[in-house]
Amino acid sequence: MTHSRFNAGRRRFLSSAAAAGAMTLGSPLVLRAQNSELNITGWGGKWGEVFEATVGPMFEKEYNCKIVRDTSFPFVPKLQASSRRNPIYDVVHSNQNAQAAAVVMGLVEEKLDPTNIPNMAELYDYATSDTINGVCMFTSAIGMGYRKDLVKEVPTSWTDLWKEEYADKRGAYVIPINSLGQAFLTMAASIYGSGAKDLDAAYEALEKLKPIKLVDFTGAMEKMILSGEVELCVIHDSGVLRYYDTPNEAAFCAPKEGVLALEQVLNITPGTQKRELAEAYINFMLSPEIQKTMAEAVWYSPANKNVVLSDVYQERLLTTPEKVAQLKQVDWMWYNANKDAIDMRVNRIFRA
Amino acid sequence: MSEAATAPAALTSDDAAPRRTGPNALAWLILPIALLFALFFVLPISLMLLMSVLTGNPMFEQGVRFTPENYIRFASDSYNWEVLWITIRIGLSTTLAALLLGYPLAHLMARVHSRTGHALLLIAVLAPMLTGIVVRTFAWMAILSDTGVVNATLMRFGLIDRPLPLLNSETGIVIGLTHIYIPYMVLTLNGVISRIDERLEQAATNLGAHPLRAFWEVTLPLSVPGILAGSLLVFALSISAYVTPLLMGGFQFMTLPLLIYQQISASFNIGFAAALGIILLVISLALVIGYNRVLGLLSGDRDLT
Repeated sequence: MTHSRFNAGRRRFLSSAAAAGAMTLGSPLVLRAQNSELNITGWGGKWGEVFEATVGPMFEKEYNCKIVRDTSFPFVPKLQASSRRNPIYDVVHSNQNAQAAAVVMGLVEEKLDPTNIPNMAELYDYATSDTINGVCMFTSAIGMGYRKDLVKEVPTSWTDLWKEEYADKRGAYVIPINSLGQAFLTMAASIYGSGAKDLDAAYEALEKLKPIKLVDFTGAMEKMILSGEVELCVIHDSGVLRYYDTPNEAAFCAPKEGVLALEQVLNITPGTQKRELAEAYINFMLSPEIQKTMAEAVWYSPANKNVVLSDVYQERLLTTPEKVAQLKQVDWMWYNANKDAIDMRVNRIFRA
Repeated sequence: MSEAATAPAALTSDDAAPRRTGPNALAWLILPIALLFALFFVLPISLMLLMSVLTGNPMFEQGVRFTPENYIRFASDSYNWEVLWITIRIGLSTTLAALLLGYPLAHLMARVHSRTGHALLLIAVLAPMLTGIVVRTFAWMAILSDTGVVNATLMRFGLIDRPLPLLNSETGIVIGLTHIYIPYMVLTLNGVISRIDERLEQAATNLGAHPLRAFWEVTLPLSVPGILAGSLLVFALSISAYVTPLLMGGFQFMTLPLLIYQQISASFNIGFAAALGIILLVISLALVIGYNRVLGLLSGDRDLT
């Protein structure tokens, strides 16, 4: 009996020691034996393919959990309809315009705690700036796409879009439903008015863009520039660069007035029951290894300044402080507060 | 209609009192469908109506109150009325186009005596319905775009210098919608025309009427219920269409469904979107009521409701 009591005590001691060891290894973020589901949002397409094949399984294995991804956009209305105490998502991945709207409705956090997400210390300033809610993990540069074979001169300025020769051969977005279109409106206000918030100047400039071809999402614009339906258009660098390996006549131009940031933002829902795991996931996505994998898969510029990409990506993406300095961020809180009035006005401008 | 009204006179007692006080056992059979109807139609519509007159979602927000704000917002901006008119205009144009193209086809289907001929025509009408709306709309986009089949052919033969604005136009939307919804018109008309006794037309021609006059004065009036039913279907489907106006209109033609989606997906304004949904529903309901009235007038004093 004495012998068995000793054995039991030894087993208890060993298992406690093992548990303590596991906790130490798992620190500082989360116990690595969660065995739970993490509900997140995300993109489909190439992003989805690479995420499902490599990034997602890596996180699941490391944290012994299951990632459940919703790729059916839009995400915010689903959050609106979901319980605040047990929301449908734990982590929301979206563009910043949607995050700003969700913050106002109390659906996501305004800011994240960097002490729980150590990799936030490695990011460029834009990734945690005042205009960002949550944390930006990648950005694209919104500039202009053009057809090398169809334009007379290589465009250098946003004002080239207004040239007569591009009448009905230029492309932009449906402003009420597309954040690239909304960002472009603020750029038009900056160029033709007193600043990014000079709406009257923006409306006047947009009026002069007609005739123009409008699309609702970036994939449709990629199709139009590749097919030659438009010769010059507003587009993000990823939308042109992702065809780098296939022969085509489309090229990207970063206008001299600067490029607009199209931020991929991660944020946590206040009611999540899995905050530690959610923070671990965000920290994971900000790690140099994952940043490099995803940046090279979809041509997004990594927010982590310590990431070194392969040459072909390093040269073309926003990977140095100098290149990052060209980025102009939109004040989405201000934009969303004025969105209804802007929508009604631009709907009138672009009606047939 | 009540049970007593539908029961044959011989089965009712002399004093008109029902023999059984409980409901007919067969009536229980409609219970599942009634529950289904309540769950998937009455409940969502009621919730939509409620959301349209509230300041927020009472499930999650404090201090939510009733407000006519969303309806006032709709009424006070002329742009919204413009959107409503475009929606109705596209619905009317599509209905007219579907009727003009569908009637001859339905007439032919009803009058063709060969079974094979009828089957082939039926397949021709039904076949497009086996393909998704998005696929059919993309096919039209490929045909009508600036670099599409029509414009490329016309330009190759030197008939035009610049591409015709076929896509991103109201004409494009109506073409797309007509193609998608014409089977509903043809099938409805075919059902009605095939029940019209062919000998009535023959009698008219025997009495000296030109076949066209016989059609105008005999067949056409008798097929009015089919025209109305088909038109109602096509109109209701057209004004609530989303994909085709979106893809064929180039975002220059805002219809109510597009505005509703815009409000939900990008402005996150559920209340205003719900109000727009109710307005669309009211239009459709007004049409159904109007349709029943017209049909009632055409059919004499019979109770059709």
